[in-house]
Amino acid sequence: MTLLPKPTYLDAQPLTKGTRTLEIKEIKEIKAIIDLMEKHDLSVFEIEKEGFRLRLQKGPTGPMAAAAPPAVIIPSKALTGGSETTSAPPKPIESKPLKEIVSPMVGTFYRAGSQDGAPFVDVGKTVTEETVVCIIEAMKVMNEIKAETSGVIAEVVAENGKPVQFGQALFRVR
Amino acid sequence: MFEKILIANRGEIALRVIRACKELGIRTLAIYSEADVDSLHVQLADESICIGAAPSSESYLKIDRIMSAAEIGDVDAIHPGYGFLAENPHFAEVCESCNIKFIGPSSRAMQAMGDKNAARVFARKAGVPVTPGSDGIVETESDAIRIAKKIGYPVMIKASAGGGGRGLRTAHNEPSLKSAFHSARHEAEKAFGNEQVYIEKLIVNPHHIEFQIVADSHGHMVHLGERDCSIQRRNQKVIEECPSPLMTSGLRKKMGNAAVKLAKSVGYENVGTIEFLVDQDRHFYFIEMNTRIQVEHTITEEVYGCDLVKEQIRIAAGEPLSPHIAHATPRLHAIECRINAEDPEKDFQPSPGRIDFYYAPGGRGVRIDSHVYTGYTVPSHYDSLIAKIITVGATRMNAIERMRRALGEYYITGIKTTVPFHAAIMRNGEFRDGNYDTSFIERVMSSGKLDLKSPSIRLRE
Repeated sequence: MTLLPKPTYLDAQPLTKGTRTLEIKEIKEIKAIIDLMEKHDLSVFEIEKEGFRLRLQKGPTGPMAAAAPPAVIIPSKALTGGSETTSAPPKPIESKPLKEIVSPMVGTFYRAGSQDGAPFVDVGKTVTEETVVCIIEAMKVMNEIKAETSGVIAEVVAENGKPVQFGQALFRVR
Repeated sequence: MFEKILIANRGEIALRVIRACKELGIRTLAIYSEADVDSLHVQLADESICIGAAPSSESYLKIDRIMSAAEIGDVDAIHPGYGFLAENPHFAEVCESCNIKFIGPSSRAMQAMGDKNAARVFARKAGVPVTPGSDGIVETESDAIRIAKKIGYPVMIKASAGGGGRGLRTAHNEPSLKSAFHSARHEAEKAFGNEQVYIEKLIVNPHHIEFQIVADSHGHMVHLGERDCSIQRRNQKVIEECPSPLMTSGLRKKMGNAAVKLAKSVGYENVGTIEFLVDQDRHFYFIEMNTRIQVEHTITEEVYGCDLVKEQIRIAAGEPLSPHIAHATPRLHAIECRINAEDPEKDFQPSPGRIDFYYAPGGRGVRIDSHVYTGYTVPSHYDSLIAKIITVGATRMNAIERMRRALGEYYITGIKTTVPFHAAIMRNGEFRDGNYDTSFIERVMSSGKLDLKSPSIRLRE
């Protein structure tokens, strides 16, 4: 037994060959399995039957390869370590794993450059490496944080005006 | 009294500080690197904030991130532990300017004693004997040769910004002095960013004896006796005991008074340690002062019946010296063994990794200060200290036998540790006689007399 902070679930990689869409019943079954894993502190679950194989694994960030086709994508809930964290609401099933923009420092997260200003980015906004996505205020200094990745903002993870720690997820980008 | 304290450290000392805070009803904020996510101190603190990647330079040494965490955590004070930023006057200054109490001396006092060469000047002024040496920094090779000749060989070349046993070289004659001078400067530049060195006479086979100082902010200072730290391997302390088998009450009085006089002369506050070398004729010489809590503070606590970390916090909060510390007298004998994640059979090669099974000894007179547990992975990025085992006994022999018994119960698997090494020393005749100096470990290891293969307990698989 180890003392672990809140777990991070992984997205499984889809395989391009022989995929089929999931049925509602199957999605519900998978969600139930994830709940059971959490409840009983299991880190790996694997099942194989009738040409169907599923593997769910708990762990830190990074994509993880799934088993033989057809592969499934699981909804993921990502929380970073430490007690002062913000949690993301479960997101709908995506077709590709999302990239994370994480905090490079300790401070307070702000979505806009000023009190009443418009947020730098919103869900749906296209970003490049150089796009400023937020401000992190540390010791009275406002630091502009760049995306350092390109894509479309899929989710705003951190909460406006709340503290963030080093490595904490701020945004998810498709 | 403070409401919330940030612990700017990790491992066993972070846990030690958190324990003291909990007993005082103070909330705790732990800061940690990504490698320490599973650390016990992070789990036990009321709040925790990740401040960087594994390397110390990316996390535990990042003053800006620590201050940022202090700000969002809204803490009243910061405890720096030992190592990392504990003796960094700039960090103490930053805390002062941010109105967050730094639990330790003022940055001024820290600066005065932190420069090892300047500290010698203070010592001389306070009438405290120092080892014969250069009157200041030695700038050139020719100066070094001239000074060494005057002092008389053998000599030691020491980094002025040094500490922790680093930036030191010895020279027994002129040819070796030249290379020692340059390599000491080189190591000092790399380790401390400052290549300045000074030269001292090398006291042959000395005893390393240090005195614990406690001072409040109202001008009241006492010493809590000595610790003998002569058992060292490559200038790193391995075993410490209190009181020293070498000490007499007369010498203790003289050295204690000298220690207090010196610390008072720089306006020292909070806890600190004055280190001396004592030669074969019981002459003592000041070498340096450590302006922080030390690893081995534990044995003083056991013998003098006090909690030095709680006292640090009380002093920092402006309280006067606790009566039980102001009037403390030594009773009992205590020994501490530092358990490192190292392989004593392979020249103490570091042995990080996952601890598969951990069982710590208990029973009367056994104290364990450790942050490890079954399933914990010892990271490779930091020092190898995983536990301190302290035994107390009515007499020195009781404490030794108790340590021998306790080490026989100490079961740590999955990594190599120095438990068998310490067990072998507890059985060693010279150690048991109290007849040792700083050359002890080297002699005993090269003689091959230490039996490291003796089994401790064997638990059924």
